[in-house]
Amino acid sequence: MSVLSGERPASDRSILRFIAFGVAVIIGVGALTTRLAFLQIAHSGQYAELSDRNRSVLQAIPSSRGLIFDRAGRPLVTNVPSFAVKIRPADLPLSQRDAVLTRLGGLLQMDPSDINTEIDSNPGSRFDLVRIAQDVPEATARLIAEAHLELPGVEVVVEARREYADGPMFSQIVGYTGPVTAEQLPKLKDVGYLPDDMIGRTGVEAVYEEQLRGAYGAETVERDASGRKIQVLETVRPARAGDSLMLTIDVREQALAQRALEWGMAEAGLKRGVVIVMNPQTGEILAMVSLPTYDNNLFARGISQSDFDGLLKDPDQPLLNHAIAEQYPPGSTYKLVAGTGGLADKLITADTRLDTKPYLTIGPYKYVEWNNRGWGPLSIKEGFGHSSDTFFYQVAGMLGIDRLGWWAQQYGFGSRTGIDLSGEAAGIVPTNQWKLDTFGQAIFPGEVYQAGIGQGFDVVTPIQLLNAYCAMANGGRLLQPRVVREVIGPDGTVVEPFEPTLIHKLPASSKVLRTMREAARTVVTIRHTYNLADLPIKVAGKSGTAEFGLRDSKGRLPFHSWFVGFVPKDPYKDDFSKGDSELAVLAFAYDSRTKGNVATEIVKYYMQLHFGIKKDYRNVGLLERGNFYQSN
Amino acid sequence: MRVEPTRVQDWTSRSVGTAWRAFDIQLTIYAALLACVGLAMAYSNSAENGGDILVAGATFTRGLLWAGIAIVVFILATAFDYKWLKTFAWPLYFVNLGLLASSLFIGDGAGGSARWVSIFGLQFQFSELAKILMIVVLANYLTARWGRLDSLSAILGACLLVVPAWILVMLQPDLGTSLVFAAVLAGMLFMSGANLRWLGALALLVVAAIPVAWTYILRDYQKQRLISFLDPAADPQGSGYQLLQSQIAVGSGGMTGKGLTNGTQNGLDFLPVQTTDFVFAILGEELGFIGAMIVFLLFIALIWRLLVDAWRSRDPFGLLFGSGLASMVLFQLVVNVGMVIGIMPITGIPLPFITHGGASLISLAMGLGIMQSINIRQTRAEW
Repeated sequence: MSVLSGERPASDRSILRFIAFGVAVIIGVGALTTRLAFLQIAHSGQYAELSDRNRSVLQAIPSSRGLIFDRAGRPLVTNVPSFAVKIRPADLPLSQRDAVLTRLGGLLQMDPSDINTEIDSNPGSRFDLVRIAQDVPEATARLIAEAHLELPGVEVVVEARREYADGPMFSQIVGYTGPVTAEQLPKLKDVGYLPDDMIGRTGVEAVYEEQLRGAYGAETVERDASGRKIQVLETVRPARAGDSLMLTIDVREQALAQRALEWGMAEAGLKRGVVIVMNPQTGEILAMVSLPTYDNNLFARGISQSDFDGLLKDPDQPLLNHAIAEQYPPGSTYKLVAGTGGLADKLITADTRLDTKPYLTIGPYKYVEWNNRGWGPLSIKEGFGHSSDTFFYQVAGMLGIDRLGWWAQQYGFGSRTGIDLSGEAAGIVPTNQWKLDTFGQAIFPGEVYQAGIGQGFDVVTPIQLLNAYCAMANGGRLLQPRVVREVIGPDGTVVEPFEPTLIHKLPASSKVLRTMREAARTVVTIRHTYNLADLPIKVAGKSGTAEFGLRDSKGRLPFHSWFVGFVPKDPYKDDFSKGDSELAVLAFAYDSRTKGNVATEIVKYYMQLHFGIKKDYRNVGLLERGNFYQSN
Repeated sequence: MRVEPTRVQDWTSRSVGTAWRAFDIQLTIYAALLACVGLAMAYSNSAENGGDILVAGATFTRGLLWAGIAIVVFILATAFDYKWLKTFAWPLYFVNLGLLASSLFIGDGAGGSARWVSIFGLQFQFSELAKILMIVVLANYLTARWGRLDSLSAILGACLLVVPAWILVMLQPDLGTSLVFAAVLAGMLFMSGANLRWLGALALLVVAAIPVAWTYILRDYQKQRLISFLDPAADPQGSGYQLLQSQIAVGSGGMTGKGLTNGTQNGLDFLPVQTTDFVFAILGEELGFIGAMIVFLLFIALIWRLLVDAWRSRDPFGLLFGSGLASMVLFQLVVNVGMVIGIMPITGIPLPFITHGGASLISLAMGLGIMQSINIRQTRAEW
């Protein structure tokens, strides 16, 4: 054919190259098929599982946290809805991370590098949500939620935030909730906590965490790639709401106690102070004020680093509840221990008179009376009333350090009271063994003297001291102090009813304790506490001036002031013969250095307020600040 | 440029029946079936995204529209005498370069818009057309040097033809298309009977140039994508994300798949660009191993028909064009699917006929039309 002649014949072309091309096709498609078979046949199950995991996640259903009320049912905390912004790092592609964080930082008015830090210090895995911002304004939250396509991995979550009523007034008791830390997480994970969860960090929020939290539920939800919930597939178990707490605290008493303490601190120029009000019959704390304090709402809203640093660096430690977490020398208030021990061990009787002198000597050392004179022979009531040092040196000497320490332990010193607040200190009760263990030498006789008047190695917490006096005031029952009265279920039923918890009974007869109560009353009637005796109510108590720190150029030591007072059941009529007191008050003034005892004035003012005494008995003149060391 | 009037007379002297017997109906059927698979995937995507499937702007609606245009283009290209392509090869070449160059300038701000009216103006689509035009230009160039293809100069000449276009796509930057150019060039040179030693030497040169390209030509994100396929788990949320997700999608499909529109990876948007370069992941998930095998068989059949047509063509232009088209389809199939199933690095190469996107389908329709035009415009060689 002519058409063919002008062209090269078909046989010209290389059949081999066509075959080679065919082989290339087979190799190429064969490789694809092999790999497909690997994925879709050999490992299909594994990938199906991954796909399911992509799609459905087990999500916790948060339970509503229990509320906290005062003893009259006034709410101290409520749950308010708030927006939190969280990031699931696994859903935030690395390539977009900078852009997303910059955008988010702009919306939240946060430094993107802070967000980065939050993500990097995330305690959970990459698939767990990281809390970036709490309590975000609604408008901002909506903006972020609407921009979810440009903000992959960013989620806006509506959650409940704690709103504390009168935050600063109750923060030391109620505490606050805060995010779970990386250190806590491994343990908490097993009991259902999420990495972005909140947990009670201090106060009853921490101690009663288990009751308040309730139990989270769980549900399987279908989600899309950006993590948004599409639908709930299955509720695995419903959430159980947390129980609520009714505190022993009375909002009114707390306000009065705070008012009294604030007045005393302002008049005397103090930086730290404590007032605790307790019912000696039950161990219930009616008020507990530790100043300076802080606003726990700052924490509930997500405290800024600068605010937190400010609180941490404050030398007066506002975050610390000084009523339970700090220990101080008790000074003369500690004479309760030697007195009770001396009487109960029958080393002295109520009528035994010991000679009080300007000083006692042991070898070359002088142990002086606080007024440098003494009062001559005194009974225990008079000795306690005058707060005679030489009287109690002698009693302590008779008891010896170990017996003195044993009596201190009977009063609960040297071990935690077990109050239902976090961070309680245990105090120190020195004994021979303690001194050997701590300093490698035995107690010197002089140290026994000092221990007898609370100026030795002994240190106590305010709550321990008040609790010891309560045991004396109630006739010998050492109770566990507490701030939570009842635990109430979500339906209003009482889950844990209130019952006083007895630690132990004092091994002292009621007669001995009556003598000590009357001795405490003598403190007032003998006018050691000036015009406290003039009040229309009968107050008994003991003041203390506890030296600490280093002597100044004139050889004087700074000191704290203490006062523990209590009244009989009917303070207008009753005397102290019965252990029926229902009100005991402690005041502690840190580094007071006032002319008179500021703690006594604070307790007096509280009593005036509490009993509605119209006449004002306060001695402002005694609160002049200087470096006085006048009374004990 | 040579015009060959005698050939046209030959063709017109033959009966219409003979001409249509030369039309490769099988090739058309395989291509149509593959396009239907593509439409099915578009349907699945639209259905899963909820709402009306046939609404204007939905993936499936647009797919139908593109298919319609593709049919028209195919018919026009078939009717058009391919020999004019030889006449206009050089102008076509410069139009091609012009399109690629213009997409460099227009492409910047216009990115992302996929409305069908705006086909002109999308760099992605220009480069699709450029592939076909490049095959035409190369076929013409090599046909003119038929019989002298043993020489190095012919091979280098062909390479030089590709280089300007190649540089233009690399500037976009479009690594995928530039690789397709290289594959088409290699396939056509090989099938043209070019000297194997020279080809081998050239291949070695290319291999030697890889480190240079790595250092000076590839951008960081391209390198990242190339590396990430080796170990996608190293950065599961970054560049490895798509790879892991697409393998999960394919693997979870199993033997029979989850059924059309039932893919969860697709429906819940775990897979970005699910209708474009990663469409095979959804195909694997929803249609399973069996569905994938059917698609593979259709591709093999299509390539086989292209090779048969190439073999039969008395005109070397037909041989070369068929080889070029077959090379392009094979290369894109292996690289695209390989990328989805994790044996090839990520390069933006569409899966022929199936990847959603008008330009790719229309360009392929044009290529197939030209092939058919070649088929029916010459007397068959004996098979």
